[in-house]
Amino acid sequence: MLGERSRLIQRVCFDIEPSEADLETLGSPERWLVYRDLVRTRLVGVVDAALPRSKAAIGEPRFASTVAAWLSTGGSKTRYFRHVPNELVDFALPLWTDDVAPWVLDLARYEIASWSVRHAASNLTPAGEFTFDTRPLVGSAVRVLRLEYPVHEGPTPEDGYGPSPHTLCLYRNDKHRAVPKILNPLAADLLEAWQRGDQTVAESVQQAANSHGVDIGPAFVEKLSTLIADFITDGILLGRRA
Amino acid sequence: MNREVSGIGIGLRYDLASELLERRPETVSWVEIHPENYVDRGGRYEEMLELARRDWPVITHGLSSCLGALEPFDPTYLGQLGAFLSEFDIPWHSEHLCLGGAGERFFHDLIPLPFTEEAAKVAATRLMEVRDAIDRPLALENVSYYVPQSSDGLAEADFVVEVLERADAKLLLDVNNIFVNSKNFDFDPKKYIDRIPAERVVQIHVAGHHVRDDGLRIDTHGEPVPSEVYDLLDYALRKTGPVPVLLERDNNIPALDELLREVDELTDIYRSATEAHDVG
Repeated sequence: MLGERSRLIQRVCFDIEPSEADLETLGSPERWLVYRDLVRTRLVGVVDAALPRSKAAIGEPRFASTVAAWLSTGGSKTRYFRHVPNELVDFALPLWTDDVAPWVLDLARYEIASWSVRHAASNLTPAGEFTFDTRPLVGSAVRVLRLEYPVHEGPTPEDGYGPSPHTLCLYRNDKHRAVPKILNPLAADLLEAWQRGDQTVAESVQQAANSHGVDIGPAFVEKLSTLIADFITDGILLGRRA
Repeated sequence: MNREVSGIGIGLRYDLASELLERRPETVSWVEIHPENYVDRGGRYEEMLELARRDWPVITHGLSSCLGALEPFDPTYLGQLGAFLSEFDIPWHSEHLCLGGAGERFFHDLIPLPFTEEAAKVAATRLMEVRDAIDRPLALENVSYYVPQSSDGLAEADFVVEVLERADAKLLLDVNNIFVNSKNFDFDPKKYIDRIPAERVVQIHVAGHHVRDDGLRIDTHGEPVPSEVYDLLDYALRKTGPVPVLLERDNNIPALDELLREVDELTDIYRSATEAHDVG
């Protein structure tokens, strides 16, 4: 009985429209609709908090219908309220691909990446200082994001964004905010290699230089040193991996 | 360090944390957190917890391991929760006596259980399972509900007691929830408290609630504590003695001074009621 009751309540709360039959079976239909409203309002609230610019760009009706469609799959799979917007975006991006302006998709990716960085786990403790002959440790709150449109430059223009491909490193700063930093393609590849952590710094630098057809000369070394120093200052690079 | 938890605490919430942690009012004796907001999370939440722990004991109150579901618990999460409670030396943990999810999905709200023997058995079994997993005392909390579950409004008290006794468990007594239910379903909230074994109560919650135009009361934690809930707290404390009391405020969070006035009011009630308990 408890199991069937749970499924009825789930349908009442999450179906696009609650069925009269389910409500009658549960009894006190108007009160179960109170629960439907409470549950949905709370979930919509956190989604709105995470994706305000995406919602504005897509428009209230379309955004609301996407949220309703997502909820109708049965509700949130995560116990962590902060992960609810990520579930919505995973569901929504394929739906929006065909009929939403491409820059809006980039905006949604950017907003959810920023949200994820803000709420990411705490950093692991490095085993020691950063060195070229060891595997580096990157902070937990760091994401590399390849975008076609400069959506990190807000506010959103009235006529949207024109194409301008770039790669961002989003990281959580000491004020706990997600901050974008533009990376060149080689730096982005390096950071992703360091996030994977399966090569030493020297190995990953050699591989990235080879794949981009760059000589490791004095100019390269100087730029690499600056990049590493910036990453360490910003808390992106923490040191040596255990 | 496991410091004593007593007196009046306040829920550590993001929107009031900055001012609370900066001013560190002495009238606040402890803080309560929802572990789901802190497990596997860094940033501001990690900082808030670290700052709070410098001056205050911390108690945890779960949101997602509700006791009424049928699906097996996620062992990974229970392991994380147990490790978290152990790391921060939390003396006891609490969860809601409700349905929190169905089919491995989460409502992110507190759905009432029917007051049946089947539900009591399920809840008691799950409570013991969580308690074993976290290896420390686990209290259940009575919830507010908006759908009639019985023609007798006091049937909820009997249901709560049945679960407590089946699991030999402790109770986090939410007097605002009792008051909300008593208004929505027309029973005497003091008679509800009379049915609760006072020795099982380890903690009390107080809060405000919203009254809709149609009279239905919703447990929003978004309004000041009403006088009737203060009165009910006084009544409960005279029976339980000095168990720690938490002021819950999760929405429409006002300036800290407004909350501290409520803390002062709660402190006065706490002192007079627990002194009366000692004398009685």
